[in-house]
Amino acid sequence: MLIEIMDVIISGLINGSVYALMAVGLTLIYGVSKAFNFAYGSFYSMGGYIAFLLFGVAYFKNYLVVFCLAAPVLLVFGFFIEKLLVAPLRKRDDWEIKVMMITLGLALFLDNSYQVVFGARMKSLPSILEGAFEVGDFILSYQDVVIFVLSIGGILLFRWFLNNTRTGMSVRAVAQNPAGAQIVGIPKEFVFAATFAISTVMVGMGGILLAQKYFVTPGGGWNILIKAWVITAFGGMGSIKGGLYAAFIVGMLEAFVGWQFGMNWTLIALFAVLLTTLAIRPQGLMGKWG
Amino acid sequence: MKKTLSLLLILVLSLFMAQGAWAKGVIKVGVPLAMTGPYTDTGDNYWKGIKMAIDEINEAGGLLGKKLEPVRFDTQEFAPERVMQGADYLCGKLKVDSVHAGWAGWGQDVRAYGKYTASFFADDGSQTAVDIYKQNKKQYNNIFQLTDTGINQAKSMFNVLMALPYEYPNKKVVIITADDAWGTEVGDTLEKNFKKKGWKVAMHELVPYGTNQWGPLLTKIRKIKPAIIHVEIVSAQEVITFFRQFMKKPTKSILSYGYSLVPREVVGTMGKEADGIIGEVPTAMPTPEAPTPEAQAWLKKFNTIWHHLPQAGSWAAYSGVKAWAAAVKAVGDEKAHDKINNYIATKGYKGETGWWKWDADHVMRAGGDVPIAHYQVQNGEMVAIFTDPPTKPYKNYKFQVPRWIK
Amino acid sequence: MEHKRIAKLLAVIWSIVAVLPLFFGSTNFIMHILIMCLIWSVVASCWDLIMGFAGIFSFGQVAFFVIGAYASAIITAKFGIPPIFAVFLAGVIAAGIGILVGLPCLKLKGAYIALVTFAVHMILEPVLKGGIGRAIGTGGSRGILTIQPMNIFGYTFTSSEPVPYFYLMLFVAVICSGIILAVIKSHWGTAFLALKDAEEFASCLGVSAFKYKLMVFALTSFLTGVIGGFYAHYVGMLSTRMLGIDLFVTLMVILVIGGVGKFPGAIIGAFITIAINEMLSPLGSFRPITLGAMVVILVLLLPDGIVGMFEKIFLKKKKVRSLN
Repeated sequence: MLIEIMDVIISGLINGSVYALMAVGLTLIYGVSKAFNFAYGSFYSMGGYIAFLLFGVAYFKNYLVVFCLAAPVLLVFGFFIEKLLVAPLRKRDDWEIKVMMITLGLALFLDNSYQVVFGARMKSLPSILEGAFEVGDFILSYQDVVIFVLSIGGILLFRWFLNNTRTGMSVRAVAQNPAGAQIVGIPKEFVFAATFAISTVMVGMGGILLAQKYFVTPGGGWNILIKAWVITAFGGMGSIKGGLYAAFIVGMLEAFVGWQFGMNWTLIALFAVLLTTLAIRPQGLMGKWG
Repeated sequence: MKKTLSLLLILVLSLFMAQGAWAKGVIKVGVPLAMTGPYTDTGDNYWKGIKMAIDEINEAGGLLGKKLEPVRFDTQEFAPERVMQGADYLCGKLKVDSVHAGWAGWGQDVRAYGKYTASFFADDGSQTAVDIYKQNKKQYNNIFQLTDTGINQAKSMFNVLMALPYEYPNKKVVIITADDAWGTEVGDTLEKNFKKKGWKVAMHELVPYGTNQWGPLLTKIRKIKPAIIHVEIVSAQEVITFFRQFMKKPTKSILSYGYSLVPREVVGTMGKEADGIIGEVPTAMPTPEAPTPEAQAWLKKFNTIWHHLPQAGSWAAYSGVKAWAAAVKAVGDEKAHDKINNYIATKGYKGETGWWKWDADHVMRAGGDVPIAHYQVQNGEMVAIFTDPPTKPYKNYKFQVPRWIK
Repeated sequence: MEHKRIAKLLAVIWSIVAVLPLFFGSTNFIMHILIMCLIWSVVASCWDLIMGFAGIFSFGQVAFFVIGAYASAIITAKFGIPPIFAVFLAGVIAAGIGILVGLPCLKLKGAYIALVTFAVHMILEPVLKGGIGRAIGTGGSRGILTIQPMNIFGYTFTSSEPVPYFYLMLFVAVICSGIILAVIKSHWGTAFLALKDAEEFASCLGVSAFKYKLMVFALTSFLTGVIGGFYAHYVGMLSTRMLGIDLFVTLMVILVIGGVGKFPGAIIGAFITIAINEMLSPLGSFRPITLGAMVVILVLLLPDGIVGMFEKIFLKKKKVRSLN
């Protein structure tokens, strides 16, 4: 029994770390610019496909190189998407809904472009680290350990960036008070685009990290978007700490419900918990209004 | 405002009209398959078989001296109105003389295409589709199923599991299926059969598509230690992640994947890693060695055109086109739909492995020259080890006890 | 837009639509598409009412549509109630669920509401397929494959003869658009605008956000549920495959093309979008690519959709005229 519970907890923890990485980017954009990005899942797949392309080229058969090459590509891509598609909408009325629509159109465009370019079949990446270690009856694969460590590491790195760099601090300033930030000379428009770009990098990196375990498919980003969405709302949109807690709660919840009641109940249980939370705390676990 | 509106109207009208061009000396063949969305890959497999058959017929001078012209229709995600739209477009508007589908709507298609007379070939493998056919055999005379139902396929899987030259350590089985019509049909039938034989179904779990974290389920499985685990989810991602997570700490269980072994990526991605998994393909051409020289030649030809071995469905869809073409040739008039349908239903068709005979319900029942093939992955390739019914070993290929049991 | 102009525009649209069967009456395929256009135009208009006018980001419209369709099919099959009444009962059921969903949403904002309402969409599939669904009579993952056709005063509308059903649906669509117009015109409409633009100020003036928002949830889910019922009795079969992403996106495109909050826009949008969708269909994967690109470009260039564009042209002309 103890081993069983340990197994379930481990699978909950690993899922939780992945969810946290997924949710941080989404909550960041929403927190800073109040924009909801429907193409978030497609950016996730984009990470996987970039890695797939790089692995196809003989020189780059190394994850470190792949990460280093993919990050700037995603950064530039995210920056220009924000500048070209989202920024022009900001001045219009109903701009929130229009951002949702335009990113939904972008998602449709990207997902089906992947299908045309790479085919409908899933693509796989080499495993980042083979093998597993055993302690008695208990087994943990290195792959899962790497996913856990890199996800948490990524989030910590990101927190450090927000708290200790100039750009990071201006991001926080804009999130707290856009008008005030502008008055003290922070380029608001640039910060919006930079946040969007950073969140694209985070989710794209997550895409690479997960693709080596779960593969890449053209429409595979939707599940990620929905999970990230639930977690950000649960934790409080715009709150990174809340998102972190929510991710692990959701990961554990899924693992325990799947174990005790069956996989078909996880989604229902997830939304039941979300609804109850929102009914009591409409702003989510740690969110703030405004 | 009125001007722009009328302009718009004209635009819309002209776009509707533009499709009406008619060519003479051509026989139109409808091909409703999923070209977008989650079913694209299966649609692609069927299309490869259908395209190959049509090209073959055209290269040989056409049918009754006329060229065949395929008209594709995107069935997307098989929403009811989409299936109906396909029938109205292909049969109603374009008046095609036959329709070749693959997965086509699991019963919805019988209703939609049954309104028309052109022969309709589907690969639903669904009891629901057969039940609807039985409601009005006369009206649905043009409906033909290329494979046996999920119920019979599941029975066949069960028979082969029982016939394996292997001593089961206990009588416990775990069944995991997708929560779609196919999965539940197979799962329920398996459960019934296992129970009848005195086995204990220790777990029967329905999972949604997209499941890729199997930790909680595997935890339960490791406690049960079943002799057989049957997984029926026709999607590579799910079954590969299941296998890899299972292999972290395997139980001494035969892994039976049923029809889920079919997506080419399963073997393509895992290669030798997948050695030991067993599964089935209905209406199959057994590989690596086909049963007849003609079949072997067909395999080679398919491989030269598409650069990979045929996946489930390709050959079935190919044979559907050929069966219809043979009937048209015999009847001598592609517009005599009723005669063609009756010809197919009564006379059948001689294919690469032998005779195809549809039964009274217009289902291509497994058996005879077109049995269900049961495979095991050996050395990174799918190898036919049994055919059923009747259950008998295939040629000289032998079942191997999986490496995680030894 | 002024209400009179909306009414006029509606009259023009519906009278054009009413004569379409003269051209296409003999082609079932096109009649079928036109009927679907009518159905989607109602669903999209309801969505526009709740999202464009009331400013509530409800993403559950497809879910209410499917709930209505299943409810009507099950009511006719289980209780032997004629379809024409069952359709309204289905609307009532959808409205009830709409209120249930609306209640927690009233406290929420923006993307949260979108999530909660979309959650209904997401949960609906496992519920309809699972044990609860099968107990109600949804047929589980097989769906419902036999649904009684619509029957009014002994006349049976079948999908093999679409022209009568087309006029029936046109009648329903006209009534629905009339109701929506009436809502926009009434003090509800004014209240919505006030709440959307300045919620706090409006509630200070005594406009009850709670009451109006709940009412709009009830009304739109009622109409959507009713039209879902009509869909069920027309197509004659149902499955959870309607809950795929395709229909959701199509409805979104309809709103983009028609213009958000530009009421008859959704109706025009439905006809244009479905026509484009059908024409692009032979292109396979290039259809959604084109559709996606179109959404992106249209949102950027035509922020208020086609109706918004006309309005602008119209206003400019007027200005020019008044200057002269």
